[in-house]
Amino acid sequence: MTPATAPPAAAPGIQRRSGSAGRARLFVGRFLSRSDGRYGLLILAFFAVLALFPDLLVGKLETATTATGQSLQPPGGGYLFGTDELGRDILNLTVHGARISMAIGLMATVITVVLGALVGIVAGYVGGPTDTVLMRVSDFFLVLPTIVLAIILAPIILDIVGADAELFGIRATMIVIIVVIGLTSWATTARVIRSQVLSVKMRMFVDRARVVGSGPGRIMRRHVLPNVVNLIVAQAVLTFATAVFTETTLAFIGLGDPFAPSWGQILNSAQGAGAPGLGAWWYIAPPAICVVLVVLAFTLVGNALDDILNPRSGARR
Amino acid sequence: MNAHYLARKLAQAFVTIVAILVLNFLMFRMMPGSPDRVLKNPNLTPEMIAATRARWGLDKPLIPDQLIAYVKATVSGDLGYSIFYRGQPVTDVLGATVGPTILLVGLGEVFAIIGGLAIGAYAGWRRGGKTDSIGTGASLILYSMPYFVIGMPLVVIFAAGLGWFPTSGMTTPGMSDQPLLNQAWDLGRHLVLPLLAVTLGLLGGYSILMRSSIIDTRNEDYITTARAKGLKDSWVLRHHAFPNAMLPMVTLIAINLGYVVAGAITAEIVFNWPGLGTLTIHALSARDYPVLQGIFLLVAVSVVIANLIADIVYGFLDPRVRA
Repeated sequence: MTPATAPPAAAPGIQRRSGSAGRARLFVGRFLSRSDGRYGLLILAFFAVLALFPDLLVGKLETATTATGQSLQPPGGGYLFGTDELGRDILNLTVHGARISMAIGLMATVITVVLGALVGIVAGYVGGPTDTVLMRVSDFFLVLPTIVLAIILAPIILDIVGADAELFGIRATMIVIIVVIGLTSWATTARVIRSQVLSVKMRMFVDRARVVGSGPGRIMRRHVLPNVVNLIVAQAVLTFATAVFTETTLAFIGLGDPFAPSWGQILNSAQGAGAPGLGAWWYIAPPAICVVLVVLAFTLVGNALDDILNPRSGARR
Repeated sequence: MNAHYLARKLAQAFVTIVAILVLNFLMFRMMPGSPDRVLKNPNLTPEMIAATRARWGLDKPLIPDQLIAYVKATVSGDLGYSIFYRGQPVTDVLGATVGPTILLVGLGEVFAIIGGLAIGAYAGWRRGGKTDSIGTGASLILYSMPYFVIGMPLVVIFAAGLGWFPTSGMTTPGMSDQPLLNQAWDLGRHLVLPLLAVTLGLLGGYSILMRSSIIDTRNEDYITTARAKGLKDSWVLRHHAFPNAMLPMVTLIAINLGYVVAGAITAEIVFNWPGLGTLTIHALSARDYPVLQGIFLLVAVSVVIANLIADIVYGFLDPRVRA
C-alpha cells in the first residue's frame, strides 16, 4: 500500500470521532489554563444569572408609578444602591438592565456574525469580481465609524416605522438599534472569515468534493463552513463585546428605548437628571461598572478563544 | 513612492467619497418630512404643487438629475439649511463647532498616542513582567470603557466632589472682556477633564496594539542581530524594534479617527463641550436632519482622507507595500 492510498472507508470516521472528543478536551484544557479566559467566563456566568432571573433577584422592573423611594436618595435605608430621580431603586434597574443590554447585544451579534460569515465565505470561496466587489463594500463599512452611521440611520428608520411600532412583541426602538449595529459592524467578521476561507479552499478535500461533483453551494455549506466555524465562534464572542459597547453608546446618546432601560439608557437618564454634577455617584457607578465588566469579559474570553482557535493569531504568541 | 500605488489609493478614496455622497443623497430621500409631504396641503391647487415641484427640481428624475444637482451643491459647500438653528446654513452651524472638537480630539490623540505607545512598547518588550501585567490590565479595562463612562466619574470626583475643575462648558460666561491670559487659564481649566476622558478612552486601544506589534518584532532576525552586536537593550528597543512596530500603528491611528470623533461625541455630552458631539445631540433631539447629514458627511469624508494619508505615509515607511 502506498502512503497516498486512502484508508478503508470506516476507519476515518471512527478516528475522527475519538479525535474530536480528544480535541475538545484539549481545547477546554487550554482555555481554562488561561487566567483571562477563566476570569472572563466567571464574570459572564454572573451576568448570565442576572439576565436570566431578574424578577427572582430584585422583583419586577420598577417604573415611575411603582417607585417607592425619594428622589436621588443615596445608598442605605433599604436601597442598597440608592435611588434615581424618580425614586426608583438603582439595584432593580441595574439588574433588569443586564437582561436588556445583553439581549440587544446577543441579537445584534447574531445579525453581525451571520452577515459577516456569509459575505466572508462567499467572497473567499467564489473569488474573482464577486470577491472584489464584496471586499470594496466591506472596506466602505470598515472605514465608516459605526456610531456615526448609526446616529444617522436610527432616527430615520424610527421616524419611518414609528417608535411605538412592534415586531414579534419587541418594540421598534430596540429592533432598530439591533439592526443598525448588525448592518454597520459585519465587515470585520467578513474580513477575518474570508482570509481563512482562502486557505481552506486550497485544501485537498475541497478539490475532492469538486471532483465528486458537488456544486459551490454545497461545498461552501458542507466543507468550507465546518472549517471556519471555530473562527466564527471566536469572532462572535468578540463581536458581542463591541455590540454591548455600541448599544450603550447609542442608548446614552438618546437613541434607546426609555421603557426598556439598558445600562446605556440608565446612564442617559443619569446624565439627563444631572447626576454627575450633583455628585450622585450611586446612580452612575452600578450601570457603568456593569458595562465595563461585561465588555471586558467578552473581550477576554474572545481573545482567549481567538488565540486557541484562530491559526493566524495563535502562531503569533 | 510608486506612481501606480499612489494612483490606485487616490482612485479608491475617490470611489469611497462618491459612495458616501450617494448614500447621503439616498438617505435624504428616505427621511420623513420630505418636500413632498409639505406639499400635501388641501389648499394647494395641482398647478401650484407642480410649479413648486418644478422650482425645487423634484419633477426631474431622482437619478441622475437630482443626484447631480445634490452633488454639485455639496461640492460647492452648500449643505442645506438647519431646521433647529432657525434656517442658518448647515455649513455655518458645523463650522462653529468644528474648532472645539478639533481642540479636544486633537490634543487627546496626541496624549493618547504618546502614552499608549510608551506603555504598549514597554509592556511588550518586557512581556510577562510587572509593567506588562499592570499596563496591559489597565489598558484592557480602559479599552472596555466608552468615553462617557470614563467622563461621568471624572465629573463626580474632580468637579462635583473636589471642586477642582468646572463641571461643564468650555468657558465661564463673561470672560470675554478679561485679559487674554485669564481667558486661556479659564479654557485650560475647562479642558482638563474632557481631555482626560478622551485621552484615557483612546489610550487602551493604542497600548494593546503597540504591545502585540512589539511582540511581533521582538522575534525578528534584525533584533537578534542588533542584540548580537552587543547593543544595549534600551537602544535596541528604541532604535530597532520601536520604529518597525510603529508601522501597524499608522494605519490604526488613521482608521481610528472616525471612531475618535464619534466617541468624542459622548465625552462632549458629559461635559457639555460645545463641539460636534453636543451639536449632534441637539440635532438628534430636534430631528434636524440637514445638520445630521452634514455631520455624517464631514466625519465620513475626514475619515477617508485620513486613511488616504495613512496609506501614503505607509507607502513611504514600508517599501514592501508599494508593489
